[in-house]
Amino acid sequence: MPWAYALALFGFIYLPVATLVLFSFQNGSLPVPPFNGPSLRWYGDVLGDDRLVEALLNSLMVALGSSAIAVALGFSAAYALARHVLPASALWRALLIAPLTVSYLIVGLGLLIVVQRLGLGLSLWTAGIGHVVINLPIAFAIIYASMGAQQQNAERAARDLGADEARVVLLVTVPMLAPAILAAFFLSVTLSWDEFIIAFLLTRFDVTLPVEIWSMLRSGLSPRLNAIGSLVFLVSVSAVLLLELTVFRKRRR
Amino acid sequence: MTASVTLDRIGHSFGSFRALQSIELEIAAGEYVTLLGPSGCGKTTLLSILGGFLTPDQGRVLIGGRDVTALPAARRPTATTFQDYALFPHMSLRDNVGFGLRMAGVPRRERHARAEEKLDMVGLKHAAAARPHELSGGQRQRVALARALAVEPDVLLLDEPLGALDLKLRRAMQDELKSIQRRVGTTFVHVTHDQEEAMAIADRIVVMNAGRIEDAGPPARIYRHPASLFAAEFMGETNRFAGEGRGDGIATPFGVIDRQPPAHGPLTLCLRPEALRPGAGSLRIGPSRVLDAAFFGTHCRAHVRPDAAPDLTLVAHLPPTDLPEPGQMLDLAAVTDDLAAFPAE
Repeated sequence: MPWAYALALFGFIYLPVATLVLFSFQNGSLPVPPFNGPSLRWYGDVLGDDRLVEALLNSLMVALGSSAIAVALGFSAAYALARHVLPASALWRALLIAPLTVSYLIVGLGLLIVVQRLGLGLSLWTAGIGHVVINLPIAFAIIYASMGAQQQNAERAARDLGADEARVVLLVTVPMLAPAILAAFFLSVTLSWDEFIIAFLLTRFDVTLPVEIWSMLRSGLSPRLNAIGSLVFLVSVSAVLLLELTVFRKRRR
Repeated sequence: MTASVTLDRIGHSFGSFRALQSIELEIAAGEYVTLLGPSGCGKTTLLSILGGFLTPDQGRVLIGGRDVTALPAARRPTATTFQDYALFPHMSLRDNVGFGLRMAGVPRRERHARAEEKLDMVGLKHAAAARPHELSGGQRQRVALARALAVEPDVLLLDEPLGALDLKLRRAMQDELKSIQRRVGTTFVHVTHDQEEAMAIADRIVVMNAGRIEDAGPPARIYRHPASLFAAEFMGETNRFAGEGRGDGIATPFGVIDRQPPAHGPLTLCLRPEALRPGAGSLRIGPSRVLDAAFFGTHCRAHVRPDAAPDLTLVAHLPPTDLPEPGQMLDLAAVTDDLAAFPAE
């Protein structure tokens, strides 16, 4: 009986993905049964499409860039709040985490209004800023939670042995927190990579992949979409696997 | 390298809590001093002030005659070993021990050579490439010691260095710490709450309580002739009873001892359990009933009730050769050389 539950559960989660991937290999013009194939023609089609490839690279750039900035800011905030006695530190913490509770739509609209008031054009930069806004609280929360007395004493020891603040952070704090920092980074990358609403509201001519897929959806179903979806899924899975292999394996040791 | 330390009227508060009050202490160059006291007595606060992790509200810290009160830890001629060792888990032992030298800009090759020399001193040269998580508690403690000594500090500060080790390893590490200190000649200041550890290791013990120094001196002197009731009780088990200071000496429930009392009027007297024995002594306790007794290897520890003072229960360390039965009567006497007397509070 437990096996049946497990089977039903994983079927529920993975069947749509499996179907999507399966019909990306369809040798025909509709992603519906019966399955003819396998064929790689839609992958060739997708990778030969300059707009799609450009959108894919844009997405990658925005994901890596915004995640790096979100993690750097999140780390600095966590370090400041964990290591120094600041007035109203509980309030600062709450303010840093609060954006998590605001829906992406509101964040996107808010930024859209601000950007237009300031007279800045919409671009990948503005979408990147939006992604920093949503990923900073997550990066902060993950890194802050893993800062403990153990690093604090190691930092004291480093200072005692003559290290200045910059070297304490670079040679002791960051390496000791590497698992949390990498986890925050990869999580942030996957969230940014999949994000649609903010990217949709804050980009115009250069768009990210989810926005491009959305505009393609309007012209109806096609195995092309399955092929793109499979590629997107492949990138997300790689990020998660990378996280598993580098971070969690290290932690278990 | 070594230097003297002077604490000049150090005071410190955490909020409204007075952690240290007017601490005056002179430590000679090359001396091994332990700060001994219960939790919350201020000993760790004092060590933090010495190490430069905390700036005192009042007073000055002088190391080798130089006022270092305002210097941060990084620029003091001190090094600290922390209670949880605080090793860098992502570095090899060689890099851990060489960290201070790296900060001082010593080139890699020389740094490694000096780090390995220090690892050799603590018997861990073969593990130079290992990471701290591969080591046992005692080995980590040694690495922490080597790391602190690698920067050749004038003063080494040890915060409960043996606190996390089991008893047997603890006794072995005490001897090792002592012999390393003899070899390098650095001034060691060692914080502990274990009076046996303090006695085993220190040239001088500083007993602290509630932010003050209760007593400071060589272990034997503090144990046998403590300067305060607190020091007497903290240094080991003792029998405490009331007495009186009079013109002819110290009156006890068992007779008068011919000695100058510290004050006239009510006194509190402390007598160590090993000062009680069957047979003759300078003060006759007289017939006493054994309440219970247990064998401890080097002695038998017994609770006895003397007929002369039936409301007192004394602890006695009797010879291990024969274990007394409960209810048995013994004729006891006390050696009063080490009887401590304080004015009653």
